Amino acid sequence: MTTNLPFRTLKRATDSAIRKRPQPKRAHLVQSSTFTTSLRLRVEEDVDPADRPRWQQTPKAMVAPVPTNFKREHMTFKVNESQEKLDEVYVRILGAGGDRLLPEEVKWLAITHKSFDHGRRGFNDRLAYFGKRVVDLQTSLALLTAPDPEIQNSSNPQLDEFGRTPFQHHSLNGLDKLTESAKAKELDKSRLAQLAESYGLAKVIRWKPKNTRNLAGSGIDVVLAHTIYAIVGAITLQNGGEIGNRIVKDRVLNPLGL
Amino acid sequence: MGAFEGIDKLGRYQPPTESCRHDHIPSPHPEAAVHSPKLAALHARLSLPERLPLQTLARSLVDVSADSDPAFNNSSLAILGSDILGYYTSEFLLCHYPRLPMVVLFAAQSAYVGPKTLAALSQEWGVEAAACPGGEVDPGLLQFTQVDPGAPPPDMLKPGTTSRPNDDRHYRRGLSSRIVYDDQFGDMKANPDSGIAITGSSTSFPSSPSRSQPTFPPPSSSLSSTLTSHRPNLGPDRQPTASRTTAYAPPPSRNGTTHERARQTFVRALCGALYLHCGKPYTRSFFRAHILSRSLRPSTPSPATSSLPSSSAPQGLASLFAFTQPTRDLSRLCAREGFEPPVARLISETGRASRHPVFVVGVYSGRDKLGEGAGSSLDEARFRAAANALRGWYLYTPGEGEVSMPSETEIGAGGGNGRERGGGKKYIPPFIDPGEVVV
Repeated sequence: MTTNLPFRTLKRATDSAIRKRPQPKRAHLVQSSTFTTSLRLRVEEDVDPADRPRWQQTPKAMVAPVPTNFKREHMTFKVNESQEKLDEVYVRILGAGGDRLLPEEVKWLAITHKSFDHGRRGFNDRLAYFGKRVVDLQTSLALLTAPDPEIQNSSNPQLDEFGRTPFQHHSLNGLDKLTESAKAKELDKSRLAQLAESYGLAKVIRWKPKNTRNLAGSGIDVVLAHTIYAIVGAITLQNGGEIGNRIVKDRVLNPLGL
Repeated sequence: MGAFEGIDKLGRYQPPTESCRHDHIPSPHPEAAVHSPKLAALHARLSLPERLPLQTLARSLVDVSADSDPAFNNSSLAILGSDILGYYTSEFLLCHYPRLPMVVLFAAQSAYVGPKTLAALSQEWGVEAAACPGGEVDPGLLQFTQVDPGAPPPDMLKPGTTSRPNDDRHYRRGLSSRIVYDDQFGDMKANPDSGIAITGSSTSFPSSPSRSQPTFPPPSSSLSSTLTSHRPNLGPDRQPTASRTTAYAPPPSRNGTTHERARQTFVRALCGALYLHCGKPYTRSFFRAHILSRSLRPSTPSPATSSLPSSSAPQGLASLFAFTQPTRDLSRLCAREGFEPPVARLISETGRASRHPVFVVGVYSGRDKLGEGAGSSLDEARFRAAANALRGWYLYTPGEGEVSMPSETEIGAGGGNGRERGGGKKYIPPFIDPGEVVV
C-alpha cells in the first residue's frame, strides 16, 4: 500500500536495522525446555543469553514471568539438548561428514517439530514440504528403473484384449511400474518411521507428544516421517539438488528397498 | 507397418485406410497418431522438440476413464509430471519467498500448478475434448468419459478411504500433518487401493500386471448391431490373444471424470513425457515458459480488500494472505524476533467528522515503521497497517541475482551451476527461515 505523505518521507524498514530490545547482562531466570512448578535460577557465566543461538532458548519476550501451568514432573517430555548426540545421528543418516553438511541452526531446525515449545523456536514444516517433493520425484524415478520380476519383460510386449501393442520407446521403459499404489506403499509413514528409528532419530527429535506414555498414539510415526522429509529438504536447499537427490537415493530409498 | 504410410511417393497426404479405424478399441491405435493433423498442430503450436514422439503426445491425451490400460493412458506419465511440477514450483517458491507461511505456500502452489491452473493452461493451448472416447476419435483430442452431471464427484472422499487414521472421527486436520498425509496442495487424497479416483492422478482402477484382463463391461447386444465390427489388422507376425469382434462400449460414466480433472491430468502427463523424452534442461525451460511466466491475479475480490480501490488491493502472492488478528500476530512476531513491541501511530487523517473519513496509521517498532495502512476508521486503519507489516515480513524476497535453485546443480540440468563444469555459477543456499509465528 502506498500513500502520498508530503510532510514525512517513508522510511523503509530494510534501510535501518530494526532496533532490538536491549538485553541487560545479569543473572536471570532461564527458561529450560521442561516446564516445572518451581522456578530455577541459573547463572550463565560464559555465554551471554543474547548470544546464545536461537535453537537453544525461547525468545525472552515470549515467556511469561511466572509460569501458570502445573505440569507434573514425571509427565514432562524431555528432549535432546546435546549437539554431540545430534551430530552423531546426522552422521548415521548422511554418512561420514554428515554433520558438516548443514549449519548449526538448520541442523536443529530440521529436527524440531511444530509442537515443540509452541513453535517459538522455529519448526521444520517448510523443510519437510520441500523434502517431500524431492522424495516424491526421486521415488517416481526410482520406480521407473526398479527391477520387478512380476511384470513381464517389456521387450516382448503382450497384446491386450483388443489385440494392440503399445508404442515402444526406450525412454518410456518402466512406466507400467509407476502407479499411485506402488508409490504409496513405498512411502508409507510407518515404513519411514521405522527407517527413522533405525537411524536413531526418535532420540533427538524435538517435539511434544500429546501423551508421554503413549508415543504411538501421539503420532510419533508422522513426526518421524515428517523429520525425514525435513532433513532431506534441508540438505537439498543447503547443498543443491545433486547432493540432495543422492542422499535420497542412498539413504532413504535404498534402505526402503528401491 | 505397411498400411500406415501417411505420405505417398508424390508427397500427398494419404488418409488412413479403413483397416486402422479401429472403433472397437477404447482409444485410437498408437499408429494413428502420425496421421492426425490436430496432434501435429498441437505439437507445433507448443514448439515441442522432435524428440517427443507424436505417439507419446497422443498417449498423454488419453485419460484413464477413456482407456483403463495403463500402457495406453496417461496415468503413469501424470504421476511423474505432477511430481516434477511440484518440485520445480516448490523450489521456486521457497528460494524466492523463504518466509511464506505454510498455508500461503499451499495456496501459492495451487495457484501455480493446481488443478484449475493446469486446466486453464490446456484451454489456452487449444486442446479440445472429444465428446466421447473411442478408437475412432482423432488422437489430437483429449479423451475422457465425462461423469454424469449431478453424480457424486469422482474424487469424493469417504471416511476410511484416506491414508489418515481415524478419518471418520473428524479430528482437526492441522497443517503439519498435511505434509505427510496429503498432496502438494494440502488437500486430502484417497488411498490408492480404495478405488476412489485420486485427485491429480487418474489411476482410479487398481493396476493389473497382465493386460489381458478385461476391465470393461461386455458390450450390449444392441450396440453390436449398430457399430461396425471387424477383426483388427495386425499383420502376419502378431496373433491377438483375445480378439474382440464386437464393438467397444465406453465404460459407464459413473467411473468417469470431470473435464477439469482430465485437462489437469493431460498437462501433468505432458510434463512427464517431456522429462522422459527430452531431459531436464528442456523440462525446466518449459516449466519457466509456461508456469512461472504466469502472474497471479485474484479472480474474485476478497472481503478484506473489497472496500479498497482496485489499485491498492494486494497483487500477486500478497492476495493469498488472510489475517484474522493481524495485530496479535505482529505483536508475537516482534516478540519472537526480539524487536521492540509494535505501536500504532496515526500518521495523517482527513474527514473525521464527515461520512468518509480516511485515517492513515503506521505501525512502528521503536523508530522504524513496519507497515502502514489506510482505512475509514481508526481500527480498520490499524488492522490494515498490521496486516501490511506482516505481509512485508512474510513476502521477503532476496535480490533476483542472488537466488539459485537446487535443481540448477543437478548434473545435466543445464543450469550452469554444476561444479563438474568448472566456472559455473556457485550455488548460493537460500535463506532458511524458522517458520511463521504461532499464536
